[in-house]
Amino acid sequence: MQTLKSKQNPPQEKNQNQAIFALILIAVIIIAAIVFNIITGGEFLDSTNIVIVLSHIVWPTFVAWGFCFLFACGYTDLSIGAIIVLGSFATTIFGNWLGYPGVILGGIFVGTLLTFLNFNVFAFTKIPSWIAGISLAMIYEALAVFLKVNKTTEALIYVEMDKSLRLLGKLPWSVIVLAIGLVCAYIVYNRTSVGLNIRALGGNKEVSKALGINITKTLLMVGLISGLFIGLASVIQQSIAGRTLVKTGLTSINMMFHPLAIVLLAQVLQKRLNIIIAVPICSIIIYAIFNLLTLVRVPSGTLQEAFLGAFLIAFGIIGQRGSKGVVK
Amino acid sequence: MSADIMLEIKELNKYFGPTHANKDISFTIKKGEIKGLIGENGSGKSTLISQIAGLYASDSGTMLLNGEPYSPSSPVDANNHAISIVMQELGVIGSLPAGVNVFLGRTKQFTKNGIVNLKSLNKAAAEQFKKWDLPYVPLNKLTDGMMIETRKIIELARALSVEPQLLLLDEITQSLSMNNRNKLYELINKLKSMGRSVIVISHDVEELIHITDSITVLRDGEVVGDVISNDTSADDIKRMMVGREISGDYYRDDMKPEYGDDVVVSVRNLTVPGEIEDVSFDVHESEILGFCGLSDSGIHTVGKAVYGLLKPSGGQVYLNSKELVIKKASKALRNNMAYVPKDRDNEALMIHASIHDNFNLPSLTELQGSIGYLSPGKLKKLALEMTNKLSVKCTDIYQTMDALSGGNKQKVNLGRWLAKDIKLLILDCPTRGVDVGVKAYIYSLIKEAKKNGTATILISDELTEVLGMSDRLIVMKDGRVNDVIHRDEDFTEQSVIKVMI
Repeated sequence: MQTLKSKQNPPQEKNQNQAIFALILIAVIIIAAIVFNIITGGEFLDSTNIVIVLSHIVWPTFVAWGFCFLFACGYTDLSIGAIIVLGSFATTIFGNWLGYPGVILGGIFVGTLLTFLNFNVFAFTKIPSWIAGISLAMIYEALAVFLKVNKTTEALIYVEMDKSLRLLGKLPWSVIVLAIGLVCAYIVYNRTSVGLNIRALGGNKEVSKALGINITKTLLMVGLISGLFIGLASVIQQSIAGRTLVKTGLTSINMMFHPLAIVLLAQVLQKRLNIIIAVPICSIIIYAIFNLLTLVRVPSGTLQEAFLGAFLIAFGIIGQRGSKGVVK
Repeated sequence: MSADIMLEIKELNKYFGPTHANKDISFTIKKGEIKGLIGENGSGKSTLISQIAGLYASDSGTMLLNGEPYSPSSPVDANNHAISIVMQELGVIGSLPAGVNVFLGRTKQFTKNGIVNLKSLNKAAAEQFKKWDLPYVPLNKLTDGMMIETRKIIELARALSVEPQLLLLDEITQSLSMNNRNKLYELINKLKSMGRSVIVISHDVEELIHITDSITVLRDGEVVGDVISNDTSADDIKRMMVGREISGDYYRDDMKPEYGDDVVVSVRNLTVPGEIEDVSFDVHESEILGFCGLSDSGIHTVGKAVYGLLKPSGGQVYLNSKELVIKKASKALRNNMAYVPKDRDNEALMIHASIHDNFNLPSLTELQGSIGYLSPGKLKKLALEMTNKLSVKCTDIYQTMDALSGGNKQKVNLGRWLAKDIKLLILDCPTRGVDVGVKAYIYSLIKEAKKNGTATILISDELTEVLGMSDRLIVMKDGRVNDVIHRDEDFTEQSVIKVMI
């Protein structure tokens, strides 16, 4: 037994510890930002640069929240990048046609529908999700190519959104959407039966079943919830970029790299901080690092990603200090 | 049907493919009756209560609950009929807090406008712990990393929270230390006094006779005996279970500590913060050194720390023959030490791998050729030899571990170390969840290892086990060594309990 003695108000103690840790983390980020600012000769904390960083963290944060639900139930879906591409197309097509209702509903509808469809495939075919995900990614990429919207070349396709419809990609709207997303994700993940059932499913499928949790229904709910976040990510991504580029050959998986890095970092922190809260913090950390590397003229692409990879490993080592056993 | 009968089972049958797991099972349980269910591993006990709990559907036969036909479609359906279960192998969800685990699958009662009120949920969970006088568990803490005993307590709280008229307990006592075992006995008595019934599965014959009103014995899926506990003896039960007399040399019959002068391992001032403090002892060649204590005494931590699985903040484990300090499990393994943990499914075995792989894994270094090549013939030979030597009941050596019964899993778990030249064997609750036949066999293996000069650290929650097997017994309390008792001294349960408490 841990102990046979009772303790005073342990839940309050836990919340207090989480709050203290979050404050420490934010303080560290602020100190790091000041150091970065000195290194870059004042460019890092320039208001324009801050706006750039804040604008760019929103859509990957939504995708990362979607991943939180997906990973919590023990599944992996490699077609999310392709879904974002199709969701972005839908945002533009419906937006250009119907205005703002089309912008919002188009992306959310396609994102949710496709992710939900994926989870139907996982639930009913019993194919390992990472295999099914790759197959679905190839189908979705082909579908995007097949749409041939404003086709310019054989390999590269893009679709452009009307500039007047891109408000959600700008401050303060993008940050307001982010705040709403945080509250919704936190509540669904931590304070709803479906959120708890999703986490139970990832923890132990057999126990969940024995406790009367409907496995198929829960899986489909994951598809629906993750899909909503991914659909919204498509809307914001398109609102920032204005156009979507896609190549075939599973390159849509690239779109998942940053959100994945955010979730992995958040998983390292989740021992001390709720993962839903950790996601936007990690999102800021990662984009701040990329921004710093760009400002100090580190070539974008491979070298920056190598820096990010090294950072993730270093952060992981620090975060897992004191963990017993193998950390998967 | 008599009004005082709660559950009547008539000619229940259950098949798993070609295996006839339950054959025409019939028995009744009265209101307020405590019934024991016993049988060898694989005799069909868990299958039977799984049908009562709605985990499996029966293939034929009927069940009557309070005179009404009862055929639960799921565990939730069984809960709705006031029947709940604590399973041997199931468990809790590590990624969720303890409080949520108590009400998982039933969180809707705390939900308003779609939001679960965790404060109310934790309060209700705490009330269950208080109502049934269960040991304290931090309800807001994730169950991941909690000890097996704590996890069982949470499962028990979960089962009790459905206010069961019939509670099914599948081998949970062997996960509990002595003090919590006593608490469970008190709980069972309380349920009885409330007119509720309990079915207890245990491999501890004496325990079952002590706590139950009646005992049903299963063998090869059939009921072979239904006896009143007060009118029976442990030997009668054992005979019914295995269909033959069980020989008397279950434990050691000598009362003299016998071991060599050479110290194999010296442990000095070993400290793991919050778990054990300043633990020092020597273990000699051919010695069985027992460890016992209450639930928070730290006995299980000693095993892990000596083997290098836990990093101590102070002290050291010194391997005398090689004059080196053991700091890591890999070093311990390389230097002829072995560790058999209490939680065999999660910490010892590769549960989804084959018997072949599990037998070979600890011996790969010895089996590999000069360039590191592992000959499939050699691997197969070792697995076959050990399977036959230990009489592991299986279809073949490529059967996966999760398909084996608890006793057969433990034979593989322990036996794979005995295939090596081991100098120090650390056994943590080696007979947890195994029947009397396998138990006797495991004791014979420990005695054989002693005869071959192996030093053994035997950690156990069962006092009779450490008293029956040890040369010396270290009694721990609050993470410290409280006393060391030799086999030729006052080596009785009473004297040990006095030191433990």
